[in-house]
Amino acid sequence: MHITLNQHPQPVPTGWEDEPLLWLLREPLGLTGTRFGCGMGQCGACTVLIDGVAERACLQTARGLQGRAITTIEGLAEPDGTLHPVQQVWRDLRVPQCGYCQSGQIMGAVALLRATHRPTDAQIDAAMSGHLCRCGTQQRVRAAIHQVARGTKP
Amino acid sequence: MKRRQFLAAAGAGALTVTLAGCGLVPVIPKRPTSTANDALGWIRHEQGRYTLWLPSAEMGQQISTALQGLAATELGVPPAQVHLQLPGTRAIARVRATVGSASVQDFALPLARACATLREALAQGQTSGTLAARDIAPSALRSLQPRTGIAKETAVAPGQLHALVTGQPLFAGDTRLPSLLYGRVLRAPVSAEINSRPKAWDETAARADPACVAMVQHPRLAQMGSLGLGIVARTPSALDRIEAALAVQWQVEDGSAFEQAAIDARIDIDTQLRRGPLQHRLRKDDLPADTAWTLDLRMDIPLAAHAPIEPRSATAQWLADADQEGIALKVWAGTQDLFYMRDVLARQFNLNAERIEVQACRIGGGFGGRTLCTVELEAAVLAQAVGAPVKVQWSRAQEFAQGFQRPPSSHRVRARVHGGRITHWWHALASSHILFTPAAMPVWMQTLADLAGDSGVARGAQMPYDVPQQRIEFTAQRLPVHTGPWRGLGAGPNTLVVESAMDECARHAGADPLAWRLQHTTDERLAQVLRRAAAEARWPERPASDATTLRGRGIAGGIYKGVSYAAAVADVEVQRATGQVRVVALWCAHDCGLVLQPDGVRAQTEGNLVWCLGMVLHERLPVARSGVAAASFADYPLPRMGDVPPLHVQLIDSSAPPTGAGETAMVAGAGAIANALRDATGVRFTRLPVRSADVLQALAARG
Repeated sequence: MHITLNQHPQPVPTGWEDEPLLWLLREPLGLTGTRFGCGMGQCGACTVLIDGVAERACLQTARGLQGRAITTIEGLAEPDGTLHPVQQVWRDLRVPQCGYCQSGQIMGAVALLRATHRPTDAQIDAAMSGHLCRCGTQQRVRAAIHQVARGTKP
Repeated sequence: MKRRQFLAAAGAGALTVTLAGCGLVPVIPKRPTSTANDALGWIRHEQGRYTLWLPSAEMGQQISTALQGLAATELGVPPAQVHLQLPGTRAIARVRATVGSASVQDFALPLARACATLREALAQGQTSGTLAARDIAPSALRSLQPRTGIAKETAVAPGQLHALVTGQPLFAGDTRLPSLLYGRVLRAPVSAEINSRPKAWDETAARADPACVAMVQHPRLAQMGSLGLGIVARTPSALDRIEAALAVQWQVEDGSAFEQAAIDARIDIDTQLRRGPLQHRLRKDDLPADTAWTLDLRMDIPLAAHAPIEPRSATAQWLADADQEGIALKVWAGTQDLFYMRDVLARQFNLNAERIEVQACRIGGGFGGRTLCTVELEAAVLAQAVGAPVKVQWSRAQEFAQGFQRPPSSHRVRARVHGGRITHWWHALASSHILFTPAAMPVWMQTLADLAGDSGVARGAQMPYDVPQQRIEFTAQRLPVHTGPWRGLGAGPNTLVVESAMDECARHAGADPLAWRLQHTTDERLAQVLRRAAAEARWPERPASDATTLRGRGIAGGIYKGVSYAAAVADVEVQRATGQVRVVALWCAHDCGLVLQPDGVRAQTEGNLVWCLGMVLHERLPVARSGVAAASFADYPLPRMGDVPPLHVQLIDSSAPPTGAGETAMVAGAGAIANALRDATGVRFTRLPVRSADVLQALAARG
């Protein structure tokens, strides 16, 4: 079995076909940037893009994602290391504190900005309310999304 | 240049202290004061490259950024040239736990001296060997020079920011090893205060799962009274299936069952006061014999969880060692106390501490909750049992149930106001232990420790205001749910109560809440943060209510650990129809002395304000059936994106010695929000959290 991961075909090791995508990514495939927070789709720490839409990796399996494009935090930057605009602004505004939820926050923001180029505060609230952050970075997450939006051509 | 020889000084071996007749004494965390010579082991120069071994745990407080920046300034190189490394216990001399927001206070001076020593040696052409730190005066250290104009930030050190935004491995759970297996220790669904052990389980059903590796029974799988049953599997999620298949039946000590009501009754302040003076008194001035109090306010604050987004994790690997001298056990851990972890493991496995290496990993949210040896021991026991490296990461339900919690507290404040001043103040509070956490201390030992009084419970109860006659007293009652340190220890709850009572006194006196506070303090730094927060918020421009929405504004301030100052102003809106409360803005002024890393301090202050918001409006950890009744974030709501208002943080430009910044605003934010709610609704909410149903009920009662 194969999945399409960060634009490349990726074989799925035997025994992991029906395991949650979260653990397939983190353990045999070594993409540990997608993080475990609850395993129930309640915290957003494991958010990845499936065909460009934010999904919780803990609720997906490789078998269910045949033919779909999976993007993780490791696949956002350009091959030469140039950061995705969302990553760059996250860095510029120093959004992360402990940082554990931030891969998921970044993936959620990327998906939001794909769908809505200039989100309002209410749209940010709606899209990001499923991303819990215990450190209290919400204000900077909001500011970062606005800043990316301002720099994005409509 | 090599690191100093430090291993001899680091000391070796587990603590072997015993008290006759008291049984085994738990390992006590050591709290050495780091010297500049210790710090020479943190900074190293090799072939033009500097490496900084971080002496404190990084859990989002940006200590890595602060110390990297400090080292760079002192060494005279750009921050990016100082390579950051999280240490293992064999890499640096013992350092104290990362607690109490004391890292800058404890480590800045020794590190600056070590870096200055290194810089001078390099300048004189010395490129190898070990150095002895010079006792350089702080005024001669470049990195500790008072700076003016906080707004003009110099190049901020990168810390681990790039690794975070690109998803690189940093946390304990990101550890990967060949042949790694996954473990979990199942425990009875009751508090570890109650003796429990596995009685029966369906091993055949569990072994039918192809990913099942082993069931592990071992006395070292005990955490206080809870003896667990270990399971090991080939994938992490197989642990869920195996747990379900095992359907463990538990033997639970008879007669120990409890519910929420038992906890509430145990700390009920009025019940405690009826028995006479409380056990510990911070102030014991004379009080009037009559009962003509202007204010008599009772407040009750519930249990609360740390709820970090990272459930704690550790990976353990046993190493074959023919000569019995090298490393026997390696553990990757996200802990606030690396060396304590090592000492506990050494005691448990009867090993020389030097044969254990505990490797620090970034912590996905500490908040005081990562101080005990839990997953680290579980991983080590399971790894030894199966002869392969094992990673343990607690489930979300385990993270809620098996750690320790912020204790609930019950308060009564009585105050007398006369002639425009508070003349008498009596604050009595009952809570459970914080520093003498029952999660690590057996009853007998806690009883002994209690003679001294748990200063964590008392933190923040001292009046920051001038009142001539004061009685401040407290008692810590051991509860069946384990309690311990939480961000700010007792300061969050205690200052919330103090500032609520101050506000009520101002109302009785007909005084403006800001003016009232200013006239009750001669502490210029406290007055300064109060004035600054009020000025930023345009204090006199108070929001007005209308037909649908009640609006209010509140202020509060305080002093954290006697050294850091904060004040906050909150604006809230309450929907008359639904009781829904929204904090619409928060302003905070923070004085933590010389600010080494302004952006990091601002971030910490923002985080504190969000904690305060959660504390007042959202958080209560439910108890039922003899344990914590929250298993997911659905049972323990946290503030979300839409709940967090604009946070306006002002840092006071100060040349006073740097103090802690990670918990200060806990003394201000909650009180400001509570006082704004009072201002909006005319109701003093005395039980937390204040949810919309509570508001509706109160508004209806008010008529």
